[in-house]
Amino acid sequence: MSWKAKPSATMSIPRRAEPYCTAEMKARWEREVLPKYAVKHGALMPILHDIQHAYRHIPYQAMVEVAAFLGIKPADVLDTATFYEEYSLEPRGRCVIGVCQSIACEACGHTKIVDRVRERLGIEPHETTPDGAFTLLTLECLGSCDTAPVALFNETLHEKLTVETVDRLIDEATKPGGAASANGHGSH
Amino acid sequence: MRLEKPVLTKRIPTWPWGDPKDRHIVGIDEYRKTGGYDALKKALAMEPAKVVEMVKGAVIRGRGGAGFPAGLKWSFLAPPDGKGPRYLAINCDEAEPGTFKDRLLVDFDPHLVLEGIAIACWACQIDVAYFFIRGEYHHQAKVMERAIREAYDAGIFGSRGLMGGTVKHAVECHLHRSAGAYICGEETGLLEAIEGKRGWPRVKPPFPAVKGLFGRPTIVNNVETLAAVVPVVEHGVEWWTGIGVAGTAGGMPSWGTKLMGVSGHVNRPGVYEVPLGIKLSTLVNDYCGGMRGGKRFKAAIAGGVSMGVLGTDQFDAEMDFDIGRKYNVLGLGTACPTVFDEDTDMVMVARNIARFFKNESCGQCTPCREGSGWIYKLLCRIERGDARTSDIDLLLELGLSMGLTPGTTICGLADGNNWAIRTIVGKFRADFERRVKPTFVPVHISSASVR
Repeated sequence: MSWKAKPSATMSIPRRAEPYCTAEMKARWEREVLPKYAVKHGALMPILHDIQHAYRHIPYQAMVEVAAFLGIKPADVLDTATFYEEYSLEPRGRCVIGVCQSIACEACGHTKIVDRVRERLGIEPHETTPDGAFTLLTLECLGSCDTAPVALFNETLHEKLTVETVDRLIDEATKPGGAASANGHGSH
Repeated sequence: MRLEKPVLTKRIPTWPWGDPKDRHIVGIDEYRKTGGYDALKKALAMEPAKVVEMVKGAVIRGRGGAGFPAGLKWSFLAPPDGKGPRYLAINCDEAEPGTFKDRLLVDFDPHLVLEGIAIACWACQIDVAYFFIRGEYHHQAKVMERAIREAYDAGIFGSRGLMGGTVKHAVECHLHRSAGAYICGEETGLLEAIEGKRGWPRVKPPFPAVKGLFGRPTIVNNVETLAAVVPVVEHGVEWWTGIGVAGTAGGMPSWGTKLMGVSGHVNRPGVYEVPLGIKLSTLVNDYCGGMRGGKRFKAAIAGGVSMGVLGTDQFDAEMDFDIGRKYNVLGLGTACPTVFDEDTDMVMVARNIARFFKNESCGQCTPCREGSGWIYKLLCRIERGDARTSDIDLLLELGLSMGLTPGTTICGLADGNNWAIRTIVGKFRADFERRVKPTFVPVHISSASVR
């Protein structure tokens, strides 16, 4: 959970001409997401998931567009977008490495996993490499304590990690076509 | 003490009945061939109230941590008023460190959970069910989404009525993915998240059974609790109450089987299905093949970090819902112990747990938001050897001012934080005293020490 203060009185948001919520996205939300919830506000989390997935962050302009789409206040969207760990206001890397740091993983040596990623990528936890390839996150329990230490590489969980497997996974992600390569398909 | 036959893990190969290597996702065809959805058929032939009675009689205590009897919770729902839908929220926000039992069910036997959901919806006359799954469970969300689609295609859910129109009552079942917030495992935080808001727990009363999701009566149940409803309906109350133990310390009984996920310093960590009341030492030595590297047992987290730790002399603790009364921990929690060997630094354990609570405090109540941060800072200071003896007492004082069931906050997160720190310091005080300086000394500021 992170706390962000916004300078409400003086804030201006960066805008682009092209909307973030495309007609195609909106049509899909109308069809598949809105009918699931009794009020439109309920559809906010699945919609934010889609935006995070598509742009690897939640731009302020997209928040305004989503608010208009759901008939709620932009502040409500900001509220939800800043509360949850998976949504990010800053663009995340194409390959997001989320290393579990909770008790079972720390007891089984997560420190050397995090250190290896830091060393390889030259970034600290919650930073993104300048080329936008990788983001390193330290996350709380990923629910796979029997196979500790574990880490998520985008949506895939890797278990019983060693320094060697971390090296291999980073190499694979960096290769052409890999998750972190320029033509790769990041998911966050 | 072992179960004769697997119950919840009937289709999930688990030691001692099967090899975990053979695990695979059980699709609807395989599920039906192996007796799946028979319990739902049986339940639909009964009056809804009779199903509630059955679950009440079996005293299925909530498997999500609190141990509140599911049947009792169900009976709090008022009769349908015709003014709108009633909701079921399935809590698969399994984020308590050390806990990974619901993942096993969702990973490999999602239809068992869906059958439990359908039975609960019939018993409580619920119209819409939300399967609330944590954001980090990407694969599990996909498995569940596919299973829900299969169930719709087979007519279990959908507008025709449950089980292809066996009864008129129709149920819709949706998947709702969370986005990474431990607090959404709290039942009202979970409801806020489904409504699209930040997951701040609500002030109770009104309880969800009266005013829950979208202001309507709502039941919130854990995944394993709903899965347990299936064998109870299938085999009856008497069979279920023949497993497990009656209340041993004046509490409610702990009947039935339980999934226990063991992690940490054991040879074979994993999820095992055992009768409630099994000794922790049996679980470790028999099921998990003993302590890793032949080391000695030092401590174990009872079941999720909020519950606190069992001390070195409590290795034989019986894992049932009375554990809290007998062994000075908060409770059984999720029954997923994390085991530590003799080399473990308990100050590290306390610091890690404190960091978890600091990160996951939602910020709504001041004692928790501020207290969790200060507890973490104090523990970092003890860990790097800069603290004084009085800091240990300050730690305990801070914990007490945050919460001690019932505490000073809206939800139980602060209580969990306090219990974890208090039991570790209480049972391993010597580990802490060894690390602190007895007299006032200049404090070194080291930037490398805050992790």
